[in-house]
Amino acid sequence: MDLRDSFRNATRAIFAAKMRSFLTMLGIIIGIAAVVMLMAVGSGAKQSILSRMQSSGSGNLYLTAGARSNVLMGGGGLGGGNREGASAGAKITAEDLTYIEARVTYPIVVSPTNQTNITIKNGDTTMSGTGIFATPTYFEVESVTIADGRMISDGDVDNRTRNVVIGNTVQTTLFPNESAVGQPIRINGTSYKVVGVAAAKGESLGNSVDTAIVLPFSVGEKSFGVVHNVIQRTTIKCVDPTQSSAVTTEITDILTRKHKKVDFTIQDVAALTDMVTSAMTILTALLAAIGGLSLLVGGIGIMNIMLVSVTERTREIGIRKALGARERDILVQFLIESSLLSIAGGVLGIVVSVLGSDFIVSRFTTTEITGSSILLAVGFSIAVGVFFGVYPARTAARMKPVDALRYE
Amino acid sequence: MNLIEFSDIRKVYTIGSITIDALAGVSFGIGEHEFVAIMGPSGSGKSTLMHILGCLDTPTSGAYRLEDHDVSKLRSNDLARIRNRDIGFVFQSYNLLSQLSALENVLLPCTYSTHAMSGRNERARARELLERIGLKDRMSNRPVEMSGGEQQRVAIARALMMDPPVILADEPTGNLNSKGAREIIDIMKELHAGGKTIIYVTHDDTIGAQAERVIRIQDGRVVADDRN
Ligand SMILES: Nc1ncnc2c1ncn2[C@@H]1O[C@H](COP(=O)(O)OP(=O)(O)O)[C@@H](O)[C@H]1O
Ligand SMILES: [Mg+2]
Repeated sequence: MDLRDSFRNATRAIFAAKMRSFLTMLGIIIGIAAVVMLMAVGSGAKQSILSRMQSSGSGNLYLTAGARSNVLMGGGGLGGGNREGASAGAKITAEDLTYIEARVTYPIVVSPTNQTNITIKNGDTTMSGTGIFATPTYFEVESVTIADGRMISDGDVDNRTRNVVIGNTVQTTLFPNESAVGQPIRINGTSYKVVGVAAAKGESLGNSVDTAIVLPFSVGEKSFGVVHNVIQRTTIKCVDPTQSSAVTTEITDILTRKHKKVDFTIQDVAALTDMVTSAMTILTALLAAIGGLSLLVGGIGIMNIMLVSVTERTREIGIRKALGARERDILVQFLIESSLLSIAGGVLGIVVSVLGSDFIVSRFTTTEITGSSILLAVGFSIAVGVFFGVYPARTAARMKPVDALRYE
Repeated sequence: MNLIEFSDIRKVYTIGSITIDALAGVSFGIGEHEFVAIMGPSGSGKSTLMHILGCLDTPTSGAYRLEDHDVSKLRSNDLARIRNRDIGFVFQSYNLLSQLSALENVLLPCTYSTHAMSGRNERARARELLERIGLKDRMSNRPVEMSGGEQQRVAIARALMMDPPVILADEPTGNLNSKGAREIIDIMKELHAGGKTIIYVTHDDTIGAQAERVIRIQDGRVVADDRN
């Protein structure tokens, strides 16, 4: 029997009992939708965490004062400002950075920053934000691009010029109708000149640049009481991100030798990313397995209906055998039927899950339907159809023609 | 050499502690182009005999040779091939598939054939067969839309589809009125004239009398074997 005939027979049988076929499929629809949607939630969560990490720069290391045993513990988020547990008197200075730069054998870009909370004012409009004191390398290592104007220059840093770059939210809040570039702005009561506006970046680990103002590093000490020679946070970008762990080891060595103790912390975004990736992958697999349980129930539903169908069609099986159908022909006929039911259920399940995750689940949490979860769903539904179809199909195939024909 | 050779064929059914000898040692030979009626009272084992002849059932013991096959030694795939190619079986209850049209029912054996004709030749042949038995206008009708006689003629066309040398018919006229029965017997005669070997079961004496040879069985044994 050729495959086209088999498919025609199978679709005919499925359409002959529409309601029953649909109810049988429903089990698979629910199972597949559960698998795909739960995986979408899992990988959506993973994606959103990873994109925050990535936007803080892949291959970036964060050097802060104070030893900490576990990178995941302690306050302040990744590289965020002062932390509990910082050893008393421990600090990173500009001299430390020069010392490191002179000795590191890998290509790196170093960006020292200090930050403090500020009040920003234009005319009558006031907002609070973060003042980030930085050098030009800040823009490179934090992947902050300029939407308008220019960034902080070496000259601004050397001359303590009161030129600033403002974040996107600052621009839209304080200068809703015009470009801020060239305009004066008051920060904690002192007048500065806006020379650039940073492109919107969204949330990232640490503080977002959107609600911040980037000031020349050297301005901090005088006007804001930030101690110039003490650097709160240094971002070290590895030019080749794959070297991040080697660079971490080397800088730890260099600085430990200089300080004679480990009174600082280096956080490696790549290492954290790996950890989060594997944790989230496990979580996603776990969610998929929970969805898989309902798929199993759907599969048992298919088996049940196929058994009923084999019994009902005993006489048909006998007739086909009397006309020359081999065991294989009957087996294939019923297997195709159960697989078609299951695949159709799988495809509908994918449609349901795409709609469901786009219109419903995505209101509560990030979802991402990946190609691999769809492939998995299709693969699973074929496997379920075949696996749960085998027993009923074999029962049909092995009937003796005369017994099947005598069946009333 | 006979086309069909039955030697001491037995069929025993066991239901719980009772055993029924549906066939209690049947032996006969049937030659090519013979036209044989099998007669006997209800329950005498006629259907059991036909099912074994048609490779739909296997005997408990005894030897069955068909053409040059020792049927008792064949495996299920070979039996399927014999049912497909060498034997056309006509049942009392027609046994058409209700979801298929007359034409599709006639085409059904082709789906299980190992040496396929082209789809177009198959359809042409199926149409021709239906035309020959007077169902030109009923090809796309489903079985429920046809009379018993018409359904049985579709079943005969289906039995002829693969052009088998042997036609087996188990009470083909049993459910039909006398007009329908006569039409079926006329077709059988015509097929016999065309070179087929025909074996049919009946308990109607007038229909039995039309055969060249009548084998009578009773209680699973051959009690008479007469040539007209
Ligand atoms: N599957 C079966 N199980 C048990 N007994 C059967 C079965 N098939 C037939 N028989 C018995 O075998 C005998 C012959 O039956 P059958 O060949 O159908 O007779 P006929 O066709 O001549 O009326 C009957 O007694 C019948 O009850
Ligand atoms: Mg009978």
